[in-house]
Amino acid sequence: MSQYELSGVGKSFARGPAIINAVLDVDLTIEAGEFLAIEGPSGSGKTTLLQLLGALDRPSNGRVAFDGRDLAGLRDADLAELRLRSFGFVFQQFNLIPTLTALENVEAKLAPTGLAGSELRERAEAVLAEVGLADRASHLPGHLSGGEQQRVGIARALSVEPRVILADEPTGNLDTTTGSEIIESLAGLAALRGTTVIVATHDVVLADRAPRRLTMRDGRLLTAVAA
Amino acid sequence: MFYLRYLRAELVRRKGRTIVTLLGLALGVGLVITISSLSKGLDDAQAATLDPLGGIGTDLTVTRSAQEDAGGGPLGGGGGRDLVEANQSVITDLSKLGKPGDRFVHDFFLPGTQLTFSQSQAKQIAALDEVAAVSSGLTLQAVHQEGKVPKIVAKIRTGGDRIDITRRIAPPSPAEMEKIQACIEKQGGSGAERGSGGGLGGQQQQQPPPGGGVVIGPGNRDAFAKCLPERMRKFRASITTPRETLQQVLNPPQTDIESESYTIAGVETGDPEMGLVTAAQVTKGRFLSPGREALVSATYAARRSLKVGSTLNLNGTKFKVIGLIDPPLGGQGADVYLPLAQLQKLSGQKGLVNVVLVRANDSSSVGTAERSIESRYAQAQVTSSKQVADRISGSLVDAANLSHDLGLVLSVVAAAAAFALAALLALSSVGKRVRELGTLKALGWTQRRVVRQVAGESLAQGVLGGIAGVALGLLVAAVIDVFGPTLTASSTTGKDSLFGIDQVAQTTSQSVSLTAPTGATILLLGFALAVLGGLLAGAAAALRAARLRPADALRTVE
Repeated sequence: MSQYELSGVGKSFARGPAIINAVLDVDLTIEAGEFLAIEGPSGSGKTTLLQLLGALDRPSNGRVAFDGRDLAGLRDADLAELRLRSFGFVFQQFNLIPTLTALENVEAKLAPTGLAGSELRERAEAVLAEVGLADRASHLPGHLSGGEQQRVGIARALSVEPRVILADEPTGNLDTTTGSEIIESLAGLAALRGTTVIVATHDVVLADRAPRRLTMRDGRLLTAVAA
Repeated sequence: MFYLRYLRAELVRRKGRTIVTLLGLALGVGLVITISSLSKGLDDAQAATLDPLGGIGTDLTVTRSAQEDAGGGPLGGGGGRDLVEANQSVITDLSKLGKPGDRFVHDFFLPGTQLTFSQSQAKQIAALDEVAAVSSGLTLQAVHQEGKVPKIVAKIRTGGDRIDITRRIAPPSPAEMEKIQACIEKQGGSGAERGSGGGLGGQQQQQPPPGGGVVIGPGNRDAFAKCLPERMRKFRASITTPRETLQQVLNPPQTDIESESYTIAGVETGDPEMGLVTAAQVTKGRFLSPGREALVSATYAARRSLKVGSTLNLNGTKFKVIGLIDPPLGGQGADVYLPLAQLQKLSGQKGLVNVVLVRANDSSSVGTAERSIESRYAQAQVTSSKQVADRISGSLVDAANLSHDLGLVLSVVAAAAAFALAALLALSSVGKRVRELGTLKALGWTQRRVVRQVAGESLAQGVLGGIAGVALGLLVAAVIDVFGPTLTASSTTGKDSLFGIDQVAQTTSQSVSLTAPTGATILLLGFALAVLGGLLAGAAAALRAARLRPADALRTVE
């Protein structure tokens, strides 16, 4: 059984009288531990597909199964639990809580798991150290550079040892050098843990680093290229 | 705990929003507390001044007011004559107080416009079905005078006046006529000489008038007068009154006598909860018991330098001041209160009262009792608690009315404004944090956890706003207590002018410093309002947060 099994997945939105088909008839299988890049221009549907994979949304039609479980059939609380323990998100805009320090941002992911007190703090500090930000733990996001903020984002995503990392344009707001460093960091840490990494990007260089690349156009999955 | 640290971080690191929210809540709560405490202060003042009958355990007062041309009889109006007679005792011959130059102290008592009637009338009223209890009293206007007995003897010179009198006399008898004739002839009668013939010839003889009078010619008037009998010579006379010097007692003259008016009331001491004065109004000392004891109002005590334990000398009878009282406005307030029997004896009004206080069986029977008394005693004046309160005017009443009319509205507006501000700020905050809240959901936070966090922040702001509001309210109340304006309530009684005795009308005023008592209830209310406001704001914000779908939230661009 594959980690992900998608069949005939579609997602549409009503925008006024018009219906927008963001994702159309996607069939896809992803194995655990894969590093997968979904490339395509803006508006091609890759972010929507990533959200369907991360249980942030339910498909309008078709089936998204994770570990054999149809995500559409799960309750909101179960989906939240899945997002908490199995998935880690990395965003283009970093999406850090502006009022929390780097350390507290990582704790925000860990706290709902039941960790508390020194255990919570030590775990967050250890992950921050892994991404090289031990000395920036007490800084607010506004006082960190873009690369540092994204590394906090990666630390936050990895802190619960998730089974899948879902990264949406993780280098979109970074310069090329920093972007490469971030991808190296993400790929290395994921490989160490055997974590599946799914990256949505329109950056061809970044997509080239992935062993498996998917291309999307107008909501449809065009090819499944094996590196 | 992480959630509390997150909450604290939201409050501390979003200072602007937090301060605006707290200020809004604090102002609203402070305003509610201030208005509520002011309203309570006014209510307290009103309770003391605007419910005068309630303060003396009474629903109705029955008096017998003087009315012009009314019939007489008990509680039947005494008419003007009664009124004048009742007050006549004040016109006293001061010479009876001692020899001229002697020092005297005397108190005069009169019922003013409130006429007396038999105390037995009170018992008849008590027997009415609707009446639960009565207490009779005697309220008198008193004039305290002291000074030297004046020399009030005046010398008046009389006499020396000339008085003309005319009287009717009997006509002369035939014998007297003969003598008169003879006398005239003997006098040589000038008239006879001018007349023809002898004797009284030539003189036009005239017949005596039918009444027996004598007709006298102008020429011999003097001779004729001399010839009249003795009894007829003095029928015209002038009397000169003898001169003499009289001594006369005059009305009290203006001397160095000092007068001071005050009111004095006699009360039944049997029921300390009902009467012209009650135990509840005693601010210092104790209530009256039968005997030579007196209660005095605080203002009168200050004026006369009296205190508990002082002796009050009323026309030689010594009364011990056993307490100070604070009488309510509008009722039968007096400066001095004595046991009824003592005042009746002192004022010579034994067995008489001029007010009956009536307590009805219950509030619903007040009207029936009023009508029943009025129908039985045609001229009885029955006054209800409301009528008494209506006579009271002044800034206290205006402020109280304002408080009642606007206080609640202002409180509601202030609270609503504070709530609305808190809710709007909370909603605005959630609106600005959509992506943040979406991120939390993407991280695995359940909807309940997100809602709890948002609501917790609003609740914390409500608590902090409540504390700030309570502090603000206490501060404003303290300022009002120190610098608050003085309100007055006035009540004019006995202002009817009858036969010139309108000087007994008196206007009683009571000044009340505006206070804002902040009891625990008001403070808790204000605090609870802030917390409620916080909860409402939190609920509104949480509702919006709960509706967020994580995917939509993440698509939002801040």
